[in-house]
Amino acid sequence: MIGVSQFRGLMANRQVVRTLVERDLRVRYAGSVLGWVWTVLDPLLMALIYLVVFTVIFQARRGGHQPYFLHLVTGLFLWQWFAQNMTETSRALLSEARLVRSANLPRELWVVRVVLAKGVEFVLTLPVIAAFTIFYMITGQTKLHWTIVLLPVSLVLTFLLSVGIGMILAPVTVLVNDMARVVRIVLRLGFYATPVLYSADMAPPVLQKLLLFNPMSGILELFRSGFFKGEMNILSVSSAVVLTVVLLFVGAFVFKRLEPAVLKEI
Amino acid sequence: MAKPVIEVRNLGIEFYRSRRRRMSLREMVLKRQNSAPSETFWALRNISFDVARGEAVGLVGGNGSGKSTLLRMIAGVMLPDEGHATVRGRVAPLIELTGGFLGELTARENVYLAAGLHGLTKEQIDARFDEIVDFAGPQVQAGMDMPFRHFSSGMQVRIAFALITTLDQPVVLVDEVLAVGDRAFREKCYERMENMLSGGKTLFLVSHSEHDLRRFAERGLYLASGHLKSDGPIDEVIAQYNADADADAAS
Repeated sequence: MIGVSQFRGLMANRQVVRTLVERDLRVRYAGSVLGWVWTVLDPLLMALIYLVVFTVIFQARRGGHQPYFLHLVTGLFLWQWFAQNMTETSRALLSEARLVRSANLPRELWVVRVVLAKGVEFVLTLPVIAAFTIFYMITGQTKLHWTIVLLPVSLVLTFLLSVGIGMILAPVTVLVNDMARVVRIVLRLGFYATPVLYSADMAPPVLQKLLLFNPMSGILELFRSGFFKGEMNILSVSSAVVLTVVLLFVGAFVFKRLEPAVLKEI
Repeated sequence: MAKPVIEVRNLGIEFYRSRRRRMSLREMVLKRQNSAPSETFWALRNISFDVARGEAVGLVGGNGSGKSTLLRMIAGVMLPDEGHATVRGRVAPLIELTGGFLGELTARENVYLAAGLHGLTKEQIDARFDEIVDFAGPQVQAGMDMPFRHFSSGMQVRIAFALITTLDQPVVLVDEVLAVGDRAFREKCYERMENMLSGGKTLFLVSHSEHDLRRFAERGLYLASGHLKSDGPIDEVIAQYNADADADAAS
């Protein structure tokens, strides 16, 4: 069955995946914490900018969940991980062409490895989110809700979704020249089509229905729910789960189909 | 009889005539056509043979006859469009030797990375590390913590050869790599290959050097324009190949 044999192949080579992820992290954090600073600084600065634009300049009544800054930080950090997964997986096979050509490994591994490495980077930024949460709890502006225990689920979903889409993007980028540009544009649109800046319940009903088709929308809702009122739209979360599973299988199928052509090209 | 180590059945692979067939979305959408040429040819077709354990096979044929492609499919880094190539046991591919090495990393990191890619655990690499460095020679030993790209190409190949042959895989694929290295190192390589052969390894060798072929291979496979032209004792196969080449030159 499609997917199962690929999963077995990956598990048999988890040692290799580990080696590669460690190497990625070593290159990124080579001898300093500067690598970490960059991963954190970018979304933090963006959060600050959006905060100023929406609350000070536009003086919006309500930007999203309150406190709005925490709303922005949670959204932007998770989105950054997802967005990096998309740009990096689309290059995954091309950038390692020499390794792909010379080692007989399940080729899906090159996609999984990128998402994992970016995932470790993301997890390392979680203390920043925790620090802000604690600050807002002390000042009484928010309180944790039991749904915080579902946070790991949202991370697993982001991982699986990224692998699924990545298995489509990686081979297609090898075969189609300008795919990387398309990915960039779609990501920019996706940023606004995902409730990063706003919250889904603020959108008009028609748009809320449309958001159901964006798996990142439900995943982000699940990720955030513990930090705020603890409510989430069950429909959008279950839709995200279904879409993630579907995309994972579609990705596995597309990858297997395009693999022979890809190996001839790189 | 034991199952063959390498089993190739009706193998075929089709290529586009222009090496690049990359498409462009812009063209596909705006012009509703794809400017990339779609003419194809079979680089290999209807190839079938078995290789038994411990056998040493030499592959001969002119440039572009599909030798390297065949080797890559046996190594599993290219996938056939028809038929299959099954290998029982892991493969040590001496193809594009330095392919798994990265210029920015040090030689030491590269050894760990490349050996890891071929399935060795960290402990296994630790155990073999000295052997690899010893084989590569004293100049290499002195610079193990240098970025890999600072090594000369000959040195790079030495490390890679030492590593791949230390993997101790049952099947060894060799693609024209014996031509590299200086005289002293080449002798070491020959010696190691002979040791591997007498140690019961299966060897699959691509070479244009009659000397190498006769030295290592007992059996020969002759590829001509993507077809398996003959399969027999290496001397006969080489004789046939030479006769064909002479006939071509004469005509």
